[in-house]
Amino acid sequence: MATMTLYPDDERLSATERAVFDLYAVSAVVLFVLMMLIGLLMRTAQGNWMSIPPDLFYQLLSMHGTGMVGTMGMITTAVMWFFLRKYVKLHLWAFVANFVLFLFGALCIIGAIFVGNYGALWTFLYPLPVALAKTWSNGAAAWFLLGYLLIGVGMLLFYLDAALGLIGRFGNLGRALGLQWLLSGDIDPDHPKTVVASTMVIIANVLGILAGAVVLVLSLVSAANPEITFNALVMKNLTYWFGHMYINATIYMAVIALYELLPRYTGRPYPITRPFLWSWAASCVFVIVVFPHHLLMDYAQPRWVSIIGQVVSHGAGFPVFLVTTWGVLTNIHRSGMRWTMPSRLMVLAMFGWAAGIVPAMLDGTIAINRVMHNTQWVPGHFHFYLLLGVLPMTLALLYHVIGSREQTTLDSSADRVGFPLYLLGGLIFTFAFLDAGRMSVARRMATHLPEWRGTDQVGTIGALLLVLAMLYFAMRIAIGLLRVKPDAGPRHAAR
Amino acid sequence: MSAPQAGTDGCSHEGMRNGAEPHSLMEHRALRRASLPLIACALLALPPLRPLLDATMTLQMLVQIPLLTTLGWRLAGAVPRGAGDAMGRWNADGISGLVLASMAALPWMLPRALDAAVDDSWVAAAKFVSVPLLIGLPLGISWPRMGFVVRGVFFMEFVATCFRLGWIYLASPGRLCSNYLLGDQQQLGRLLLLIGASVTLLLSARLLFGSFDLAGAAVDRSRHPDGEQPARSR
Repeated sequence: MATMTLYPDDERLSATERAVFDLYAVSAVVLFVLMMLIGLLMRTAQGNWMSIPPDLFYQLLSMHGTGMVGTMGMITTAVMWFFLRKYVKLHLWAFVANFVLFLFGALCIIGAIFVGNYGALWTFLYPLPVALAKTWSNGAAAWFLLGYLLIGVGMLLFYLDAALGLIGRFGNLGRALGLQWLLSGDIDPDHPKTVVASTMVIIANVLGILAGAVVLVLSLVSAANPEITFNALVMKNLTYWFGHMYINATIYMAVIALYELLPRYTGRPYPITRPFLWSWAASCVFVIVVFPHHLLMDYAQPRWVSIIGQVVSHGAGFPVFLVTTWGVLTNIHRSGMRWTMPSRLMVLAMFGWAAGIVPAMLDGTIAINRVMHNTQWVPGHFHFYLLLGVLPMTLALLYHVIGSREQTTLDSSADRVGFPLYLLGGLIFTFAFLDAGRMSVARRMATHLPEWRGTDQVGTIGALLLVLAMLYFAMRIAIGLLRVKPDAGPRHAAR
Repeated sequence: MSAPQAGTDGCSHEGMRNGAEPHSLMEHRALRRASLPLIACALLALPPLRPLLDATMTLQMLVQIPLLTTLGWRLAGAVPRGAGDAMGRWNADGISGLVLASMAALPWMLPRALDAAVDDSWVAAAKFVSVPLLIGLPLGISWPRMGFVVRGVFFMEFVATCFRLGWIYLASPGRLCSNYLLGDQQQLGRLLLLIGASVTLLLSARLLFGSFDLAGAAVDRSRHPDGEQPARSR
């Protein structure tokens, strides 16, 4: 069972651990602000309030997508590390290696985009990176793919180290996931939810990274020798197996913060249950096989694969979401929770995750997908759960860590302005996308028709509010983490 | 040479466990251990085995080269203790050996090299020397030194390579080797995909349901000097 102490001793960081964690956190919030600024630029251009040449637009779109997905992966890895290290032995070198390889990968990607003019988006769908080599060189495509490989290797090292720790304590990954209690037996009430979620992420995302390792190297082979061609549909399947798992893993790593922190703010225990274990076991299987819902418009795909995509996409995130939402709401109900920034952000995260799933499941339905898939409905749904779900989960932890290092309350006047600004901006921004989707506005287009510009301009206003709020959060977190001496005067009072 | 001491690196040298042991006896054992793999390598390099295993791309890549690698691995048992220790300083966690083996394996994944090994006796000689000594032997020496993470990276790359090569061989519209037919090449591709899938399934089953002897590596001894498990949720 998760601790009820607000700042338990086993979460204290040594000086080195603190430096590495701060590096992750500060890099992430800075990158989030930069990537949001790029997003704001693109929405402003689509709304015809400024002009961006199409080739630069696609470079910015590539940078925005890659940067957001990569940064989300990087910071949610830090969330998992922060809590999992309490239960199993994790080696700091693996956590550091992940960050260093992320940095090298990011440099390769930034160079490929802004020096080499790469613009085939974060999905690098074969054969686009090589086929459009008139706009950029094969070398630029290769640097971009190499950047992904480095980031994937870093994450693999971290996962393998975490798997070693889990196996060292629990014997194997099945027992860490709690499979021995699915059908019978008394569940160990001390079995940490963090361990269950981390194990699921490791199993699913290592398979995703394997698919990425295959498709990225084959794309590199194709960049080196364009005469060698591969089946584009199989390549696309592998690409989305990798990409879907990578971005989904960020949700499951970030939700660990919610499991660990929520009971401390409500003052109520949040016990582990059999439905909880079932939901994570089911989601572990579903998340591995759900990727075909990205290919529902690929009519060459076998029909049964598309049907699996639809059926499983309705079930993939749903078990964990349902059990978590039920657990969180019953935990909060009449608990007298103190509404500081971490608790506010956690509740916002639950809302963002819950609401963001609805348009996702609609898009995973074949009949709807045929109409909506190439519209702004899709960026609407993933911005919803990333901006209002995953990001607030990570911000909740970062705020909480600030609280462990200084005596101030996490509820300043600026916080009370920043939070609603972020919520309002997020809602305007995402609903502008969803409404544009409803009107069949095409996505991934540098130039928009005059009829589309209304939602673009509303979205731009939402993006501006979001950027302002995130700028404040970034400064608050960076200053809060860097200014205070290590664990100076931690606050221990729970409520 | 100084008397052998108790091993500290986890290598399975018998001499290391026996304490003081006559030098001549050690040499005799090393020679005996080396002789069998070397004789087997020589047999593989000579008729009738060589033409038999060179006859198809599948046999050369999936039987001959793995056999040579295994024989090289067996040679690791014949490496003198002193040499093993000296190499160990440059082979922390077996990473240098793994990198050397990977680099040496690269050329033998290329169809052009497989082709040349059939046509050119010098290339064939390079194969019969390099595969046991630069792939099998470094792997044999390094494997006991590798921890869970390094072995994990090795298996991941092995599986990924099977899938990549298998797909390249299947996808290539023409023959990649002048000595082998297209059907043979595609059969090799299918078998590589099968091997990759099988290893993935076996590893997944082992990780999920198997048991592991991690020799205490997973437990932080510095924080838990009695060997007790790290504290659970508090």
